Amino acid sequence: MQLTGKSKAALIIGLLPAFLIYTVFAIYPIIQSFYYSFMEWDGFSEMEFIGLQNFENLFQDPLFWNSVGNNIFVVIASVFGQIPIALFIALLLNRKIKGLKIFRTIGFLPVVLSTVVISLTWSLIYNTKDGMINEILRAVGLDFLAQNWLGDTKWSMVAVCITVIWQFVGLYLIIFLAALQNIPEEVMEAAKMDGASEWVTTWKITIPMIWDTIIVAIILCISGSLRTFDLIYVMTHGGPSHSTDVMALYMFNETFSNLQYGYGSAISVFIFFFSLILIGIVKKVLGQKFI
Amino acid sequence: METTIKKTTQSALPLPQSTRKLSVKNTLIYAVLIIFSVINVYPIIWMIINSFKSEKEFAVNQFGLPRTLVIDNYIEAWGTANLGILFKNSIFICLLATILTVLIGALASYFLARIEFKLKNALYTFFIFGMLIPIHATLVPMFILLKNLGLLNNPITLLFPYIAFHLPITIFILTSFMKAFPKDIEESAIIDGCGIFRIFWSIILPMSRPALATVIILNFIYNWNEFSFALVLLNDPALQTLPLGLASFAGQFTVNYGAQMAGLTMSMIPIIIFYLFLEKEIVNGMTAGAVKG
Repeated sequence: MQLTGKSKAALIIGLLPAFLIYTVFAIYPIIQSFYYSFMEWDGFSEMEFIGLQNFENLFQDPLFWNSVGNNIFVVIASVFGQIPIALFIALLLNRKIKGLKIFRTIGFLPVVLSTVVISLTWSLIYNTKDGMINEILRAVGLDFLAQNWLGDTKWSMVAVCITVIWQFVGLYLIIFLAALQNIPEEVMEAAKMDGASEWVTTWKITIPMIWDTIIVAIILCISGSLRTFDLIYVMTHGGPSHSTDVMALYMFNETFSNLQYGYGSAISVFIFFFSLILIGIVKKVLGQKFI
Repeated sequence: METTIKKTTQSALPLPQSTRKLSVKNTLIYAVLIIFSVINVYPIIWMIINSFKSEKEFAVNQFGLPRTLVIDNYIEAWGTANLGILFKNSIFICLLATILTVLIGALASYFLARIEFKLKNALYTFFIFGMLIPIHATLVPMFILLKNLGLLNNPITLLFPYIAFHLPITIFILTSFMKAFPKDIEESAIIDGCGIFRIFWSIILPMSRPALATVIILNFIYNWNEFSFALVLLNDPALQTLPLGLASFAGQFTVNYGAQMAGLTMSMIPIIIFYLFLEKEIVNGMTAGAVKG
């Protein structure tokens, strides 16, 4: 529709609320983050401009790099845990299985639950004394395998990652299932007629046909797990001794516990660019190779 | 084909071999699917069942059904965790944020999808960019901004980040839906003398119902489950939302597993019921939100 002079006012009225609230509360904070990252500030007293000092300190901070490393660990565990499991189950469900609906309902259930509820539930499951996992191990006579899953630096990261994987497998399962059901029946029929085995059909036809979806899922999985915060905050608070610290959590603690607003903002800026660049790289690499 | 026929004729077994092979395979497939489902749902069932056991029984009989139904855990959880207040706060903020986001977003989407003006594409890109912002990078400046505006620890504090960060996905879904309507819709309405907002309210909005359902569900679930902003922006217990309240409740009473499980069960049940009734819409909404976001 073309606008007449009179309806210019309507245009402004229509777009202004969204523009204002989005600019002030989503864009402006990001810009502020950049500004504060050049300051030394405890949140109360006067700010002091210190240039790139925060970033210099950041790049020499072993605890920060520890959190970056842990974050990458979560990303890798998510991509290599969630995507293959989800794809495998989706392929099994795509065979005109009886009870498909029930399997799908159960599969997606964890996705709708809040991260806090999931984290607290799994904290109970991992509990040393009465947790489900240790109880099962004791019941089958494997007492010696019982661990303090979240309290032992050897296991904490693995335990956290299992929960992360559990939480989101269902999302990718549904995404893959939808893509699989979009493959035209004739394609599959033709493959069968040619005598291709199921194994070959899956690898040579099914997977390539949903490859775009797989890439979208991988990108989603990376950006989602890069943002892990709630789950670890509730389950371990980054401990024991920083073994599960991730970037957002380290930023949170530096800012609000150690009152280093400038330093925390520098971490925020780092997270912002790190996310954009990583996703850019993944898009480029996966996209060019296979499409 | 030939080989299978040969095999079946040679086979002395009652079942043709290919069918037998198939049924073994099917059994395996079902076994895998059932194991997957058990892993997916058992943690939740385990917790619900154990929330009805006394502390003593939980220690000795963790995997059986409760011998007697103990509701003490529920009474304690409801009382000490202030679940009533948490529910009230969560429902209030979720409903208000969802309604406002969808209204403001739908209005903006209408102009972005249906009306020609300069900077239209730039503005659209500007909104969509928001989907790339990692929200944790904004926690600190958001805290400072709301503090400066005197809006910390206010019943409506969370409205601002919730609306701002869910507008991009809302606008994205609604705009792509509204773009698909045929062009002559508004033209006939204009001839009938309808104003621009009238067209929005009585033609475009009703036509967008499926997409509106998607964004309403999406917004509601995101807001209902949101934790980080609530954690940073609210510290008055009377204003806490359900996820925040549960997290601090669990922190206080790490020893009393029963009450903790009862609290978790109560907070989980409404969303599970909601899910079972609206499964199709919720699944569609959340996968659309994920794939497009």
